[in-house]
Amino acid sequence: MLTYALRRILGMVPTLLLISVVCFVVIRLQPGSFIDQYLEDPRVTRETVELVTRQLGLDQPAYVQYLTWIKGIVTEGDFGYSFVNGRPVSSLIWERLGWTVFLAVLTLLVSWAIAIPLGIYTALNRYGPGATILNFFGYVSLATPDFLVALLLIALVLNFGGTNVGGLFSPQFIDAPWSLAKFLDLLNHLWIPMIAIGLEGVAGLMRQMRASMLDVINQDYVRTARAKGLAANRVLWRHAVRNAVNPLISLAGLSLPSLISGTIIASIVLNLPTIGPFLYDSLLNKDQYVAMTLLLFSALLLLVGNLLADLALAWADPRIRFE
Amino acid sequence: MPTRSPLPRLCGLAGLVTLALCSGALAAPKKVTGYGSLGITNGKPGGTYTLALGDSPQSLFYYGVIDNNLGLISQQLFDGLVEFNYATYKVEPALAESWTISPDGRTYTFRLRQGVKWSDGQAFDADDVVFTYSQIIMNPEARAGDAASFKLDGKQVEVRKVNANTVRFVLPRPSPAFLLQMRSFIMPKHKLLRYSQEGGAKPADINTAWPSNVREADVVGTGPFRLSNYTAGQKVTLTRNPNYWKVDARGTKLPYLAGLEFLIIRDPQAQVAQFLAGNIDQLNISGAQFPDLKQREVAGAPFKVFRSTALFGSPPFVAYNFDAKNAALARVFSDVRFRRAMQSALNRERIIDTVYNGLASAPGHGIAPVNREWYANTTRQLGSFNLAAAGQALDALGLRDTNRDGIRNLPGGGNLEFDLTYGTDSSVYPAIATILQSDFARIGVKVNLRGILSSRLLSTGQSGDWEMILHAFGDQPDPELRKPIWQPGGALYYWHRSLQPAQDGGRPNLTRMASWEREIYNIFEDAAVTTSASRRKALYTRWQLLFAQNLPVTPIAKPENIGAVSNKFGNYIYNLGVIPGYNPVPLIYQK
Repeated sequence: MLTYALRRILGMVPTLLLISVVCFVVIRLQPGSFIDQYLEDPRVTRETVELVTRQLGLDQPAYVQYLTWIKGIVTEGDFGYSFVNGRPVSSLIWERLGWTVFLAVLTLLVSWAIAIPLGIYTALNRYGPGATILNFFGYVSLATPDFLVALLLIALVLNFGGTNVGGLFSPQFIDAPWSLAKFLDLLNHLWIPMIAIGLEGVAGLMRQMRASMLDVINQDYVRTARAKGLAANRVLWRHAVRNAVNPLISLAGLSLPSLISGTIIASIVLNLPTIGPFLYDSLLNKDQYVAMTLLLFSALLLLVGNLLADLALAWADPRIRFE
Repeated sequence: MPTRSPLPRLCGLAGLVTLALCSGALAAPKKVTGYGSLGITNGKPGGTYTLALGDSPQSLFYYGVIDNNLGLISQQLFDGLVEFNYATYKVEPALAESWTISPDGRTYTFRLRQGVKWSDGQAFDADDVVFTYSQIIMNPEARAGDAASFKLDGKQVEVRKVNANTVRFVLPRPSPAFLLQMRSFIMPKHKLLRYSQEGGAKPADINTAWPSNVREADVVGTGPFRLSNYTAGQKVTLTRNPNYWKVDARGTKLPYLAGLEFLIIRDPQAQVAQFLAGNIDQLNISGAQFPDLKQREVAGAPFKVFRSTALFGSPPFVAYNFDAKNAALARVFSDVRFRRAMQSALNRERIIDTVYNGLASAPGHGIAPVNREWYANTTRQLGSFNLAAAGQALDALGLRDTNRDGIRNLPGGGNLEFDLTYGTDSSVYPAIATILQSDFARIGVKVNLRGILSSRLLSTGQSGDWEMILHAFGDQPDPELRKPIWQPGGALYYWHRSLQPAQDGGRPNLTRMASWEREIYNIFEDAAVTTSASRRKALYTRWQLLFAQNLPVTPIAKPENIGAVSNKFGNYIYNLGVIPGYNPVPLIYQK
């Protein structure tokens, strides 16, 4: 298993290189450049534009820019400078990583905790009124974009005279030290992003779990287990669910990159201090090293997620072997 | 004890007067008074005022990045030598207590306000001023410096320390708008020396000063507030600068507020939601948002919505490319009769009504109508919306529909059809573009809409790859400040690119200019070196008339500025955003 994992990790290197080339090309293909925003200001002369272009290394051929960047990463772990912020990219990402991971992990946990039982319930009571209602809500929330849910929730809160519209804290708590009041304030704000971002995930996972469960409970071995007189609960949890959950483990692996790019619009609408809007800004401003680092990071998360999912599958299902 | 002095108003007139009008008193704070007409009263100290910021500041060093959000913060942390009067937009003393201008208009001597301290307690003096201008603003590698304005006819403006409280600028030639350049924020030498050439650094290193993760205490200014905390991506907190150099009419130290906070909120809808929730105390809004907020105000919401016909702000225009790639189109666009005909097909009233909800008025030509000092009344030249007249004028030009397909034809036979480039990410451009397209279609002129990001409008204009464009440039108090935009051959005069000089700073292509363009060119050349106020006024009046008659660009409307402010606060004066030298926040108080 260790050699398998190592082989997979080594295999990531060429993949990532290829992805970084593609990202770089795509970013370069966008019309305009970072310097454009400077032109609008009458203070900026052609001389300044040329000097800034040189300062940023944008006067060099594209392949030189790319190779310099890659070299920095490999030799010094330096992901380049942000043109916009004039600071190393890594420190900027680090600043925003905490809340991003917190929100992503929390959303994942909450949506799994709700979705799995609902999926099982709707599969077992396929034609019951409860399942029908849940399915209906599932469809609706799948079809509603997360930012729209966010806007509706904000409107609702405003109508009831609330002040927790967006952000993670009330203004006075943002830079206050941690206290019980700050924690309660966080909870008071957190439920809106949880619903807005998590709802779509819950609906999707629930449908997935239901479908996979329906597959499994009609299998011969489940019928055999029942026929042998095994307790209904034991059949369900030990045999059915354990087999049905496999596709969801793969799915969880694939959801790791959403840490970065999953909730850009909802984060902007809800004013969350996460990485998504940062990526969006860097793409708009053609802040190429920030955009490339984030896209590369996202690709890495996808590959790592896949690997983790495969390892988890092997652990969960003894039938799977590393070949 | 500060005493009430007539100095501020006298000095306000001093712009062009060559006598020493103002004589300073020792350690005199500036008394902010005489704004009764704006509803300003004596406030009381205390309270925290919260504003919105459209994104995280990219740095905390004002001259290192061109960033509107940083500008909004810097405005509260720093001051210039001079500033605007809130009511008249005339230039008044700020960090400079008084100044003299030599009779030849080439030497400006500023006497600095004494007793001013940086927010860390160090004394402010002439070294800081000389350092800021020579090492930062005039450094062409500073990304948000202003080196170009300090090079006149290719020669450098000199800045010298005379003594600890006096600074002298020597200009290669007279420049009547020079005083307005003195609004630039002065930076602390003791904190920034090591990033400058004088301190042994490379010229470009100045841009790396005060990055957004700087220690808050290092950001030191003379402004009403100082930086107290920055939480990345969420909030910037400023606290009152106890050393600030302004007092109110009773001698109470300004600012009244104990703290000023900026919440970082990207989405304009989210900003409105936070304002309605009471988490933000003041917000500038667009004409489109006005009816909703005004209705809430009338229904008893705890805020007021103000309309202001302020001088600043960007009136949109349409321009036609004199050098369009299609030669037949270029010839038509260069013909003033075509541009006038199309002005008759421009429904300004409808645009003002539907796009701006009535919150705009007829535009000036290069000068805001509210700018009494310079505005010449050109409303008659705006004409009126008349499609029949527009059609007849196009007929007279020979632009008829020869093949009866409903679209007029160019002399060569092609359709009179062109692209209109506009910004899609704007609350007004898309709606204006659609109105133009539908009205022009009714007189047989086919317009194809070509949307791009608003931030790309200028570079697209300058690339020459467009036919008709919808764009805007901000208005400024003195026309001299907008010279690169409106002088034919100027760096931003992009609707007739072939006039531009072969080399930066060279002489434009005068032979290609139409006679009216040459006249405008000469007006700007003359006015830039004329020190007589009445002569400048006459020149710029002539320019506005030439502009209105020949329509290098066709202005559409002058939008009003709208702000909403919570009832908890008093002394609100509308503030567009980053206008160095125009910062009314020190007067705001919590009721």
